[in-house]
Amino acid sequence: MTAPATTSAPAPARSWAAWLTTDVAARYTARLLMLVVWQAIGVLSTRIPTPVGTIEFLIDEMMRGEFWPHLTWTLRRAAISLSVVLVLGIAIGWAMGRWWRVGAYFRDVVTIMLALPAFIWALLSAMWWGFSEVGPFVVPVLAATPMLVASTYEGAKSLPQPLIAMSTAYRVPKVRFFGWLVLPAMSPYIFAGFRYAVLAGWGALSLVEFFASNWGAGYRAAFWYDAGNFNGLMGWGLVEIVVILAVDRLVLERLARRSRRWQEGTERW
Amino acid sequence: MSLAPSTRRLLASQFYSVAGIATFIGIWAYASSRMEHYVLPSPWTVGKRMVELAQSGAVLTNFVDSLWRTILGWLIAVVIGSVIGFLMGRYRYARAFFHDLIYLAANVPLIVYAIVAIIVFGISGMGPTSVVILFVLPSIALNVAAGMMSVDPDLVGMSKAFNRSRFDLARHVVIPTVMPFAFAAGRVSFADSWKLAALVETFGGSSGVGYQIGRSYHLFSVRDVLAWMCIFVIFVVLLERLVLVNAEHRLFRWRADTPQRNRRWRGASKAAAPAEPVSTSAVETVMRK
Repeated sequence: MTAPATTSAPAPARSWAAWLTTDVAARYTARLLMLVVWQAIGVLSTRIPTPVGTIEFLIDEMMRGEFWPHLTWTLRRAAISLSVVLVLGIAIGWAMGRWWRVGAYFRDVVTIMLALPAFIWALLSAMWWGFSEVGPFVVPVLAATPMLVASTYEGAKSLPQPLIAMSTAYRVPKVRFFGWLVLPAMSPYIFAGFRYAVLAGWGALSLVEFFASNWGAGYRAAFWYDAGNFNGLMGWGLVEIVVILAVDRLVLERLARRSRRWQEGTERW
Repeated sequence: MSLAPSTRRLLASQFYSVAGIATFIGIWAYASSRMEHYVLPSPWTVGKRMVELAQSGAVLTNFVDSLWRTILGWLIAVVIGSVIGFLMGRYRYARAFFHDLIYLAANVPLIVYAIVAIIVFGISGMGPTSVVILFVLPSIALNVAAGMMSVDPDLVGMSKAFNRSRFDLARHVVIPTVMPFAFAAGRVSFADSWKLAALVETFGGSSGVGYQIGRSYHLFSVRDVLAWMCIFVIFVVLLERLVLVNAEHRLFRWRADTPQRNRRWRGASKAAAPAEPVSTSAVETVMRK
């Protein structure tokens, strides 16, 4: 599609061509191309939202004062349910790796939970709890915990056995044992799994808000969808994407990298 | 099965995992006995309904519909994704060009995909297929690119020194290195793309598993939703365990004795998304057991 330009143009033109093949230029070309193609498709079709229309809609929404309350509410829900996911996932995953009986006990349950799509939970929660706060809390937990459990389980199985034996022999207190040995050794697995869990939980949250809530970003998307305003739907979808990308890029990726720092230079990484 | 040093232990672990499922069904049965039957039907009612659905042939036709759409989208995505991944692994410009697009496509929440498909395609079979393409493409492309970048440069140099043709090089060096990467990506994404296809059908399909689930929801029948959900899980697990694992064993029999982990890590650490293979393989190993 786009091979590196191998032009043999005269000197001034070549510096242009050389600039055009740099990484930065390539990135901006891709972004620009995407926007232009999207706008072109949107103009040609009546159903598809355009980027310009979407931005206009978002500005309108902010002017109406509907933007921040809904978004912050969704973020609050996500924060609460994801902290529960973190605690539950680490506890279950560690226990599965520590005692093989627990591991066997939860094995198939985790497999089944991983296989279940979040939208079924969202529909069930709509039927069971209606538009209450229970659904937006429970569904992300159900959807995201198995991912973290699976990853932590791998981490718990790979804990350094000699160190565990030594800390038992020297009777290291439990708190220090966990804080200094178990958690740091598992942290690369935990953070890798947590990134996935956050993605899954965020998706599940937006689904359950779409189906079974009357407050939050997903609800606004559903509202504009029902009203037939596709720019509005796209706008809120875009907001959800931007938020999750920002969280993933700025927070989680850095944490994951930091958690792997002590392993740098070792063979496995 | 590193878990089991002896057969007794293996049997015991089987016993525990059955006990785990039995516990959950027990909780379900208890809860349903305390609630109205239309809020939470008992496991037996749902089981009976599942048998009914299976006997009427509804299960088979709907699953074939969904599966066909998923496979079609998945195949198209594999072809396009391999090409993009090849370009990304080969040319620096392509890597920078596709990086943001693929990152974006990989992080769009599934619901957004589903809704966009409904807007664009309305109620037709094209919706699930096209969304599956968009969804599977990034992971295939990223993994193929990682595979391309992990091709051993010494082997490439040697085959050039011995005047091997490019076809030989591709066949004996590049493709064997890239295949495991591509297969890992395809396997993981297949399970998810199947869920996504069902989601799109829930919103606006005219047939398929997702459509049936959505219809049961609109009829407010918890029993039917649960029945379809259980059938769905059974299909996913069966597909994972029987078909894909066997195919993987057969494809990679030749490197059964090589330390596959090291190979993957070395390539993966250079890839665009270093954290990804960790959790992917973790999820995978759990699924496989």
